[in-house]
Amino acid sequence: MKQRRVDLISSDRDKAEDAILDAINAGLIVLDRSERVTHWNAWMEAASGHSPSFAQGKLVTDIFSGVDLKRLTPAIQAALTSGASTIVTHAINPSLLPLKTRSKTLLLHDITVTPVGASPVAGCLMLITDVTMAVKRERYLRDRQNARYDAVVANAADVIITVDEEGLIQFANPAALSQFGYSNAELLGKSAAELFETRDEWRGTLQGALANSPSGQPIDLIARRKDGTPSYLEASASRWTSGTRSFVTVILRDVNGRRATDAALRKSETEARSAAAALTELNRTLEQRVQERTAQLMQTEDALRQSQKMEAIGQLTGGIAHDFNNLLQGITGGLDLVKKRVAQGRFSELDRFISGAMASANRASALTHRLLAFSRRQPLAPTAVQVNPLLASMEELLHRTLGEHVHLELVTAAGLWLTKCDPNQLENAVLNLVINARDAMPDGGTLTVETQNSQLDSAYAALHQDIECGQYVCISVKDTGTGMSAATIAKAFEPFFTTKPLGRGTGLGLSMIYGFAKQSGGHANIHSELGTGTTVKLYLPRYNGDVEEADLIPDLSDVQSAHTNETVLVVEDEFVVRELIVEVLKELGYSTLEAEDGPASLKILQSQQRVDLVISDIGLPGLNGRQIVEAARVTRPTLKVLFMTGYAENAAMAAGFLEPGMSMITKPFAMEALASRVREILEK
Amino acid sequence: MTASIAVALSELELDALTELVNLGVSNAASSLRELVREEILLSVPKVVVVTRKEAIANLGERDSRPLVAVHQDFDGDLRGRALLIFPEAKSMELVRAIVGNDLSLEDIMELEQEALAETGNILLNACLATIANTLQRTLRISLPEVIHGKGTEFFDLTQSPSLGDSVIFIYINFSVRTRDIQGYIAMLLDLPSLAILKSLLGALIERTR
Repeated sequence: MKQRRVDLISSDRDKAEDAILDAINAGLIVLDRSERVTHWNAWMEAASGHSPSFAQGKLVTDIFSGVDLKRLTPAIQAALTSGASTIVTHAINPSLLPLKTRSKTLLLHDITVTPVGASPVAGCLMLITDVTMAVKRERYLRDRQNARYDAVVANAADVIITVDEEGLIQFANPAALSQFGYSNAELLGKSAAELFETRDEWRGTLQGALANSPSGQPIDLIARRKDGTPSYLEASASRWTSGTRSFVTVILRDVNGRRATDAALRKSETEARSAAAALTELNRTLEQRVQERTAQLMQTEDALRQSQKMEAIGQLTGGIAHDFNNLLQGITGGLDLVKKRVAQGRFSELDRFISGAMASANRASALTHRLLAFSRRQPLAPTAVQVNPLLASMEELLHRTLGEHVHLELVTAAGLWLTKCDPNQLENAVLNLVINARDAMPDGGTLTVETQNSQLDSAYAALHQDIECGQYVCISVKDTGTGMSAATIAKAFEPFFTTKPLGRGTGLGLSMIYGFAKQSGGHANIHSELGTGTTVKLYLPRYNGDVEEADLIPDLSDVQSAHTNETVLVVEDEFVVRELIVEVLKELGYSTLEAEDGPASLKILQSQQRVDLVISDIGLPGLNGRQIVEAARVTRPTLKVLFMTGYAENAAMAAGFLEPGMSMITKPFAMEALASRVREILEK
Repeated sequence: MTASIAVALSELELDALTELVNLGVSNAASSLRELVREEILLSVPKVVVVTRKEAIANLGERDSRPLVAVHQDFDGDLRGRALLIFPEAKSMELVRAIVGNDLSLEDIMELEQEALAETGNILLNACLATIANTLQRTLRISLPEVIHGKGTEFFDLTQSPSLGDSVIFIYINFSVRTRDIQGYIAMLLDLPSLAILKSLLGALIERTR
């Protein structure tokens, strides 16, 4: 700037200079060192209404009396005393001097105060610049822009905040104020990160936007309101610039409602799932409970089946006792006669009495066998069976069972076919049917057991379920009793169904018979009419084979006698049985030793005495048979043993513990059988 | 730090300068208080004399963020440049402190340049005038100018190649009540000016003894 020498004292002021100052389109005031006006240009006259002649020589405070000049006064002083230049802007000083435009509206202006002349300062220059047009234009543009902007931002339901690069809040819309609970003044200048619990996510959002790589997807943020409550927001951020500055405007959508809905949905989903799980659990346990209950039923059924057998035995007991007495009578009577005759020296006809006693004893033996077989829990062991002989052998038993009021007729068909079934079960079945028939005839009547060959054709098979046409052996048990109703017949084969009074029957009889028939490949049916009686028919399939050779009991005389000096030790606590066995062995030529219990037998066995075979009862007082043999085998490892037992179950177990050189024989046994077993063992 | 400075100020002289600046800042505070609606507190300044390089490094160390500066040149008995420097991010806060919270972001941004210029002008004038008056010297101080950038740019004196290498750094904390606005005042002096300042300070110390 070219230094111009201005002679403020000069009276012949340069007219041309004034003209230049007047031509400047800005207010121009020059003050001397005493702050008095020396120049006041035309622009100032027009704007202030004060003429240059009025202003000349006056202080600015006098010209604008009553106007607050707190910014201008120190600026003038600073210029004059320190050479400082000052700018006083309309921007932060809305009312400066009371100036008007030509149209008499408020003239907006900036003022600069600068020193004039080199040190020392000659005076100062005040330059007043009209910014009315610029401010108005800017304000108009801003207002127009703001109108649209505000319509969107001020009324938006979403939070809209603008932050600078530092993350400081520069703008917040009304929704932001209500969302966060802060006032506008509190929000402005605040670090937006302080609003969020999820600060890392917030910073990520901000940095992403500033780097111009917005996530593209809204980011979930958790805000912390002024009152401490959390708020779930979804943020979308974008960057914009103004000059050298960058800003990020963030739209935050309140998703608390949606979150609550989601949570409720999840909750109900979880509830539904747990309900389903509970149901599954219930089903599972239900199945388990059904299984448990079924197992229980099966146990009960098993127990009942056994008790049913026992019941049948109980019913038989009376008859059996009678039978046994008769048989014993036959034996003892025969023996008695033999004894007398021998005492009298009369040896003729001895054979007849002995044979009679033997026959009685054999029948008693067969009877006990049958009872044992019946009471034993055994699987079906089907063999070829001749039904007629089987029934014949039962005749005595049946008579005893039926008592005197019931007349038994056994009608057996000639040329009856063989069948294949478990003979014991068949006996049980017949016995059960007979007992049922007897119970159906409390006042007595006739019971007919009949056998016949039966050809079931396809027409018959079609009428009955689970039956194939073919040849069958039919066993029918017919009574003249009370009969059954159709309803009872329909249920008769069902387990546990019974018409008998409580305690009189298990209701398992017929169902077991039916089961036996089915297991044997046959069939069972009932014909009955009330008042006329009942016929139960068992169909067992014909067996096209031969009868297996029955075990023929060889004569004692057939058995080979003992070899030289073969010695047998007999261990048996029952004196009679021991004596009998010893007698038979002696007859056969064996040397015999006797012992009545374990210790006595061991004494012999642990000596040097020759013993080729030990015949021992299993059940002995003190040491049992097995223990004796174990002890004896310490010194005689190859000792041969024949165990005797009265219990079928022991016999069944035999296979489990019999070692080489050991055998077993079940009581009662025929002496011939014993003799042959002894010979067999010794020759092995 | 002062080892590289050709004309170093003694501790006494630094104290005297600090006292001068403090006086100037106090005057500025009262002027600002007229302007700013919120109370502005200005801390006791800390004065150091460093090289330009050190000043740039210093500024960068303290603040790597974009900065804004209001600067005024002065000549007369002393030649140099005075700058008021603070983080750009805080500049709008300063404007808000002056014009209030009611204006929109756009308004604030629009007023920012003028408001910064005027505020910086008040502060710098107060400091410079106080120094000049106390030292009984006359300066001519230019109108303010606002520049945005980094320390390197502020101290890049290609425009004033005659200015020397020394920078007197004056740290002042602006605290605008709740708003944490921190700024610095820097003065660049050429070597003859620094020598003159040293002698003037010496004279001042003499006078006050």
